[in-house]
Amino acid sequence: MTDDQQQCDAYAESLAELALGILTGRARAATLAHVDSCAHCAEELEQLSRAADAVVSVAPELEPTVGFEVRLFNRMGLGDDPAPVRTIPDVGRRGPLRWVAGAPRWALASAAAVVALLVGLSIGWSIGSPAGTSQAGKPVTTAVLKEHGKAVGSVATYGGATPWMIVTMEDSSADGALTCEVITDNGVAHRIGTFSATYGYAAWDAPLKVAPQDVRTAEVVSSSGTVIATASLS
Amino acid sequence: MRIVTDQVNPGAPLGRIPYVGEFSVIDSGSTDEALLAGMALGDQAAAVVFVRRYQRRVFGLAYSMTNDASVAEEVAQEALIRVWRHAPVFDHRRGSVTSWVLTITRNLTIDALRMRRAVPTDPDDFAASAMMSLEHNPEDAVLRGDVSDVVRAALAELPPEQRRAVILAAVYGRTALEISEEEGIPLGTAKTRIRTGLIRLRGAVEHSREIGEER
Repeated sequence: MTDDQQQCDAYAESLAELALGILTGRARAATLAHVDSCAHCAEELEQLSRAADAVVSVAPELEPTVGFEVRLFNRMGLGDDPAPVRTIPDVGRRGPLRWVAGAPRWALASAAAVVALLVGLSIGWSIGSPAGTSQAGKPVTTAVLKEHGKAVGSVATYGGATPWMIVTMEDSSADGALTCEVITDNGVAHRIGTFSATYGYAAWDAPLKVAPQDVRTAEVVSSSGTVIATASLS
Repeated sequence: MRIVTDQVNPGAPLGRIPYVGEFSVIDSGSTDEALLAGMALGDQAAAVVFVRRYQRRVFGLAYSMTNDASVAEEVAQEALIRVWRHAPVFDHRRGSVTSWVLTITRNLTIDALRMRRAVPTDPDDFAASAMMSLEHNPEDAVLRGDVSDVVRAALAELPPEQRRAVILAAVYGRTALEISEEEGIPLGTAKTRIRTGLIRLRGAVEHSREIGEER
């Protein structure tokens, strides 16, 4: 065994800890000095560092709490632009479009539970709020979304300066691109937007652009035009 | 007859903040590096796209480490703000954007746990949630160049004690001495578990890179 090889072996254990960022003090200084003068160990350290960095990336992607994006953009000062700011309701619970595709089922179930709780609370608010007097952030109407008579999700509409709605689906037959339409009192259907479901799961919200109290029905329509699920908001 | 009014709005022009909540596809597929460069120049649209691209990963990491949604939100917001503020000093030679963002998030989460004297998620639970999100089998992951899935699969193959040691070190920043104390094992055993586990993961990551370079 050469002297160089012996030296490298002496630092082998420290290289992994250095790559992980947990080596401290004199051991760290000595290992760094060795790496500076040893191409083999420098390459070893680079590879171990790639592996160490990759460990942090294994955490599952999770949908942040509702309103996360609005709060973040406000903190970043991105809410000062006249065009977008008016589109963001002054509600702490609302964010822009959020897809949950790719998230594990347990995470989706958790998200659905949160939404169910919100909807449950909102039913209470609706009972306590006379029609037309709801404040921004409190739901105007809520309803169960049904597919062939079976509950597969929920729909809630919100008022305020910028009315919006949230649609959640779980355990439906829908998969892929979907369109959400609402039908108002006068029989006009308004296309609200498109979203996608993964294995029957989706959580989505968007500006409503019509008065929430005028909405009678919300429909989820497949890309072929078939109405998959309906919620009666009257 | 039903009249359908199409209220879908066109995409916002680059450079101005997109209409939050619009249905247009805002992420046009720019690289992370290009978005950071745009953010460094004050491009609000780049910041919005970047946040939307990373918020689930950042929040997911913080939540997986803390099991606390309010702490995870606080950390995730701070992490993304730091990325936005420090975009001008990002150096791609020192690693990928993803590594940079997740390392910032990890460090902030460790700080938050220490400040609150909170109990972090057990490494076994962290590993279990990571492995539950494994979307492809290992060979598919290698072929797709999906390093996260490659490492998830490699972690699953590690002996449990090595997996714990690697996660405690790589995710929670525990030193070998701290791991030996927490796990009740000799310091030398802790060091061996860390090193052996990391070397196995390295093998999986480098194999994935080699396949990627051959393609």
